[in-house]
Amino acid sequence: MNKSRILSAYHPKATAWLWLLGMILISILGIQALTRDWLETGFLALLPVTEQKPEVAKAVQQHNELITRKVIWLTGASTSQAAIAHAQQLKQNTLQSGLFKSVVLELPQQQYIKSYQQLFPYRYQLLDAQTRGILSKNPKDLISQNLEILYSPIGQMQAANLERDPLLLFSRYFDAQNPIKLNLEQGIVVLHDQQQNWALLITELNDSNLQLDKLETLLDLVNSSQAQVQAAGGELMVTGMPLFTAHGSETAKQEISTVGVGSSVGILLVMLLTFRSPRPLLLSFLAIGSGMFAALVVSILFFGKIHIITLVFGASLIGVADDYALHFCCDSFGSKDWNPRRGLKFILPGLAIGLLTNLLSYAGLGFSPFPGLQEVALFSAIGLLVAWLTVVLLFPLLLTGFKPEHEPRLLKLSTYWQQHWPDWMLKNKRWLILVLLVFIIGGIWQLTPQDDVRLLQSASPELMKTADKIRELFPVSQDNQFFLVSGKDQNDWHQNEQRLLNSLKPLQQQQVLKAYQGLSSYWPDERSQQENYRLLKQTMYDSGLLKQYMADLGFSEDAVKAELKQFKDSENKSISLPEWLATADEAKQSLWLGCDSVRCQSIVSLTGINDFSALSALQSLQGVSLVDPVGDLSALFERYRLRASALLIAVYGLVLLGLGLKFGWRNALIITSVPVVAVLVSLATLGWFDQLFSLFNLFALLLVLGIGIDDAIFFFIAADKRDSTSLAVTISALTTLLAFGLLAVSSTEIVHAFGFTVAVGILTALVLSPLVGRGLGKQH
Amino acid sequence: MILKALLLFLLSFGHSYAGDLLAQINARLVKTVITNGNFQQEKQLKILSRPLISTGVFTYHQSKGVIWKTLTPVVSLLLVNQSHLLTNQGEQAVPAAFGRVFQAMLGGDLTQLADDFAITGTDQKASWQLQLKPKDELLQKIISTIVLSGDNELRLLEIQETSGNITHIKFDQITHPMQLTREQESDFERLSP
Repeated sequence: MNKSRILSAYHPKATAWLWLLGMILISILGIQALTRDWLETGFLALLPVTEQKPEVAKAVQQHNELITRKVIWLTGASTSQAAIAHAQQLKQNTLQSGLFKSVVLELPQQQYIKSYQQLFPYRYQLLDAQTRGILSKNPKDLISQNLEILYSPIGQMQAANLERDPLLLFSRYFDAQNPIKLNLEQGIVVLHDQQQNWALLITELNDSNLQLDKLETLLDLVNSSQAQVQAAGGELMVTGMPLFTAHGSETAKQEISTVGVGSSVGILLVMLLTFRSPRPLLLSFLAIGSGMFAALVVSILFFGKIHIITLVFGASLIGVADDYALHFCCDSFGSKDWNPRRGLKFILPGLAIGLLTNLLSYAGLGFSPFPGLQEVALFSAIGLLVAWLTVVLLFPLLLTGFKPEHEPRLLKLSTYWQQHWPDWMLKNKRWLILVLLVFIIGGIWQLTPQDDVRLLQSASPELMKTADKIRELFPVSQDNQFFLVSGKDQNDWHQNEQRLLNSLKPLQQQQVLKAYQGLSSYWPDERSQQENYRLLKQTMYDSGLLKQYMADLGFSEDAVKAELKQFKDSENKSISLPEWLATADEAKQSLWLGCDSVRCQSIVSLTGINDFSALSALQSLQGVSLVDPVGDLSALFERYRLRASALLIAVYGLVLLGLGLKFGWRNALIITSVPVVAVLVSLATLGWFDQLFSLFNLFALLLVLGIGIDDAIFFFIAADKRDSTSLAVTISALTTLLAFGLLAVSSTEIVHAFGFTVAVGILTALVLSPLVGRGLGKQH
Repeated sequence: MILKALLLFLLSFGHSYAGDLLAQINARLVKTVITNGNFQQEKQLKILSRPLISTGVFTYHQSKGVIWKTLTPVVSLLLVNQSHLLTNQGEQAVPAAFGRVFQAMLGGDLTQLADDFAITGTDQKASWQLQLKPKDELLQKIISTIVLSGDNELRLLEIQETSGNITHIKFDQITHPMQLTREQESDFERLSP
């Protein structure tokens, strides 16, 4: 037989050298890979590149750019002076941290002044929508509004430039540039709620993709500032995408150590109790350690960077990678004349099939479009492969002379279990099968899929509450969704956007959304600029209305003449979009996506959306599409959930085929039935316990397949070594259960769901597998 | 001029202490929850040959804010409290401190002003007078002096801008009713967000 020829050529020392060489190679590669920045923490990095047109993807990126870097801070106190004092202290803290490329407390007055001066010459061309409306309906209303302003005790501010802007045209235009009115004190935005005054500080990170230590610095900064402000009697609220990322990473870090330490301690205890010798334990850790290290190095080399969530899943791999070592070591209890070589010979087919099914299930993960899952797939596959190779290549040498003399208590227990449990199950199979069927059907009946992409992110309720509170106080932060407006040239684009903005206005009044921002409401295109001028000429300047208004107010005749001349001289002025954009703030600039040879595009940003479907209806307008990156991703989740179900079935089919060819169809069916039932029970339990069911559970079920098959195969080929096999299966199930059970404590919904699903599946497989080769299936 | 206006948009007032004089005068002023009165406002803008004269009524409420209703020559309404400033043309972006100063003066609680202004003045039997100079450097560029005078009520308010513009407001027929009228109530309701 082929197998025995391989084994006769097998030389423990040679293979050990082979292993060592491999590990040295990986270490050399590792020095390269691990010394650069290799850890990804951003939430967006987990998401697949959208399956959208490149221009939409570009718009999404530009729209996200501002959001992903911004951290918004609000210091609260009972008086605004105190709130401002806290904010000033906070400003110092943020500046000292070196994390931010911009820290804005006092609004940049120079920028406003410059922008005012640059745009003022175009005041007859740049009319805001309201002024234009008044002029075309009833020009006299403009004059009575002006009088109201002039006679008001606070009118000086709006009428400060009365001399050069007697109609207050530019004052109106400039005012309309900031549709949301913010209260300013000492140049600082101060917001109010029932109890508190809040001073606003906005910071922008240097880098949209922060390294882990920088994220820690950010969290430390938030915490220490919070303590500082509180000690001074104030309050601090902070929000922003980077903070969510930082909290996510913090949680992930804790989870990695919980899962890692938890499974290691579990393995440590079980191994020491079972073997009463440090050798199997140390060897197991060597196998796991080599596997994890190689997985890390290869993944980084392959992906460039890996996400912290991958490491959470990776930590759970400890429990799986341990299986090979366990099966090997447990085999030593199987026969009196055991030695490592003979043990390997016996265990190798089982180990090989186990590895293959495991690799197959992880390969399934790689078929998903999610970078996160692809990383998990490669990481796990390499980790398992190297752990397996360590066991196969190195263990025979290092286990030389190892032969436990005692009979561990766990062995007695698992022996009793595997002898009596199948009998009991077979005896009671009628009602057991009935209960099982009811449980499975009932549970699956209650299963409701959820495909929300936000489940990927773990955010504490506290963080969410603060974010909501801040959004309420400061409704400037944009929503994730936006309109993408395009036209075949600038004119066409302008018309399309104007049409959209005109349709949005009534929706805003109906509370469909709080606010929106589009460039064309600030920048009239050249044609509109000429129209504005003509409108003014016709209604105010040629009609004599201006003359009369100025005379009534008490302007000198010279002043009237000067104004008329100014107007006449400005007739041919116009300001182009690039010129206008140069005067605008960053938020407005980011709305423009530019023109290429086929089209011009812009973003219309939205704030406080209440009714998404009402907005969606506006897509019937020409050149308008509503982009919803989160919604699109959720739809993608759903699509892939269905695709993953098909994949799952395909993988099972493949395994069945392979086993069928090797062991015969009847036996293959029996072996496969273990993971199939485990999967069904897993799904049903999700249903009964109202757990999250999404794409990720399906990927978890791939693992249940791998592990369930392992258990069943080991029992199937166990022959007279059923006792030691039972021990191995039990211990391996315990350690795996511990690892994935610990994942289930994760606060990230999907990690939790993943852990829960696998844990239930493994438990079921553990319960069912002793049936294989006993009541069911025969050794061939 | 443009720059100053912008600064006024962007700024408001700093702080400091309340002197004895201020406390003395403050003690003379009637302090009630509600104050009603008439005003006559005269704005002298340098570029206009005639002053802009307007008259109207005001209502002060200790916690709700101020209603400033101009009746002649054009009817208009201004509502202001610590956090909001509403006119017929909607919410306006004006420093909240403006509302604070407004309220301090009309409500007779002058001590609040010491935070933002250097105060000098005289306190005589018949009347008192205060000169307020803004402490904030940037504000000093816009407003040179605010003059207040009165007896047990504020009677006169004069704002002298550095540009030479002067606003002169006279108050009379000041009363202290116990309750707001329904109309005043509904005006104030528009202010609460």
